[in-house]
Amino acid sequence: MSDAIRRMKDLPSTHLLGTGTPMCAGCGGLEALHQIYDVLGTNTVFVNAAGCMTLLSVYPFTPFRGSWLYTAMACAPAGAQGVRDALDILLTSKRLPPEDDLQTIVLTGDGAAYGMGLSSTSAAIDRNLDFLYICYDNEGYGNTGQQSSPATPHAAQTATNTGSRGFPGYKKDLFGIWAAHRPAYVATVIGAEPLDLAKKIEKAKSLRGPRLILALAPCPTGWDFDPAESVEIGRLAVRSGVWPLKEYIDGKVIHNHVPHPRAPVEEYLKTQGRFAHLFSPERNDALLGEIQAHIDAYWAAVNK
Amino acid sequence: MYRIRFHGRGGQGIKTAGRILGTAFFEEGFEVQDAPIYGAERRGAPMFAYVRAARAPIQERGVITHPDLVVVADETLVPVPAANLMLGVTADTVLLLNSGETPDTWRQRLNTGATVIALPVADAITDRAALPHIGTRCTGAAARLLGVISRAALERALRTELRALDDASLKANLDEAFRAFDAMAAHEGVVHEGAAISARAYEAPDWTDLPFEPARVAAPDIFAPATSVQVRTGLWRTMRPVIDYAHCHRCVWVCSTLCPDSAIHVRADGAPEIDYEHCKGCLVCAAVCPPHAIQAVPEHEAAKIEAGGAG
Repeated sequence: MSDAIRRMKDLPSTHLLGTGTPMCAGCGGLEALHQIYDVLGTNTVFVNAAGCMTLLSVYPFTPFRGSWLYTAMACAPAGAQGVRDALDILLTSKRLPPEDDLQTIVLTGDGAAYGMGLSSTSAAIDRNLDFLYICYDNEGYGNTGQQSSPATPHAAQTATNTGSRGFPGYKKDLFGIWAAHRPAYVATVIGAEPLDLAKKIEKAKSLRGPRLILALAPCPTGWDFDPAESVEIGRLAVRSGVWPLKEYIDGKVIHNHVPHPRAPVEEYLKTQGRFAHLFSPERNDALLGEIQAHIDAYWAAVNK
Repeated sequence: MYRIRFHGRGGQGIKTAGRILGTAFFEEGFEVQDAPIYGAERRGAPMFAYVRAARAPIQERGVITHPDLVVVADETLVPVPAANLMLGVTADTVLLLNSGETPDTWRQRLNTGATVIALPVADAITDRAALPHIGTRCTGAAARLLGVISRAALERALRTELRALDDASLKANLDEAFRAFDAMAAHEGVVHEGAAISARAYEAPDWTDLPFEPARVAAPDIFAPATSVQVRTGLWRTMRPVIDYAHCHRCVWVCSTLCPDSAIHVRADGAPEIDYEHCKGCLVCAAVCPPHAIQAVPEHEAAKIEAGGAG
């Protein structure tokens, strides 16, 4: 990866992540991960908390060409600390040549990143751990049947919110929580926008210290849509302003893409069964209006 | 004890089918055990569920290896070794296949002495992962073949297990289940309870004994890269994306980057090529292809064309 990625044509044409994984057909998380892996390369050690992607490596099969380690749900950043420390000891004692050093990557879903693992993540950032945290955010506990998580958007139906108003809470601002720690880098990405994603991974790779890549992961199974729609729904998430593409670096937040004109959020919500109750048996204008107002307020603050 | 295995693909409602049949048995006063086999329970992936029912407490556990009834919701699973649907099938087993072909054809094809019954496929269906109401149809048919489940018990079980559905979907499922129940009238009670399996009759499988080894050797470490390519996830596919090379613009960075499974690689001549051993058939490539040069073809038709071409 010597040449910088500037255009779609520059994206890697050979793919490093092995095929044959048990992720669902049309998985938006796997789509992002394989693109990320193509840029990061194989000199990596993935510390994987429990979640859908734990199933990537089930003995004796793994899609990775480098290292992988499994931890419990709340403690992947603590696992990463141990791996980083071990690598540093090997480097300083000259038992590992510098060119064989590995990047320490944490890979978790939103359940761990927004909820269970937040404490160990915060502590790892406090210790200025040199690691890259990748969160595939499918807005619920997908591997166990899409129960709500702190990343579930307002009004979405989940296995634990089956009523006509869906999830009563609001999606937690993990980007803001990370940025408040003043880490080296935070960025949102989505597999449906591969060029933006690749540029951000290149940037993250060039930096040291705590870094977060937060990938929205359209989930055919948990969000209830046809797997073929996975990319279009991802693009709609960006076009409607639901998923802002942004980064935090040097103390500043930069929006990489301000959707203009911004598509009505309805267009995005309509594509997914988890929001079907907002449209039938009758339209819930109050809830639809509330969701749209939330997004409008976000972008009004950005454009100020 | 009745031992029943349901085979299907993720998304066909097989787990629910087993669950409904278990509840129907329970309604008739049986002791019941029902469970799906968890694994890659992904849309289109082969999966199965099983039900045990007896008049006395059930001590047996685990996968059913001596089935009295095997229900195959999707005939395209027959040639898939991973589905393993003939496991333990003998002349005493009843095999219910959701298929448009005759029982005789299936008996010859499978070279089995089992009683084969065909449950005709409802309509011409293209996408096998979306067979409508196939799970409930199978349950309705299985209930009649068992002969110990009344129409009323079946209805109570359906209403209990499908209570989350809206009225229209529930009615459609009830109709399908009863239609299948009625269609199997001629075969009522064809399934017989299997004999108790004694622990004394247990024969160890033909396995390889491994010596006890230190943790460094015995720990589940993987030392080879990308071994997952040995898993043929192409078997999940019910619809096959086919590239029309005459119209392909060679903008490989689109399909090959957006394929979630890294299953589209770039050939030496710059054209994209789909790896059908691993393509799960999500059809993202067909949806994003700028010149619309990728078409979706039902897998069973594509396989037939391939077989015809080879022969």
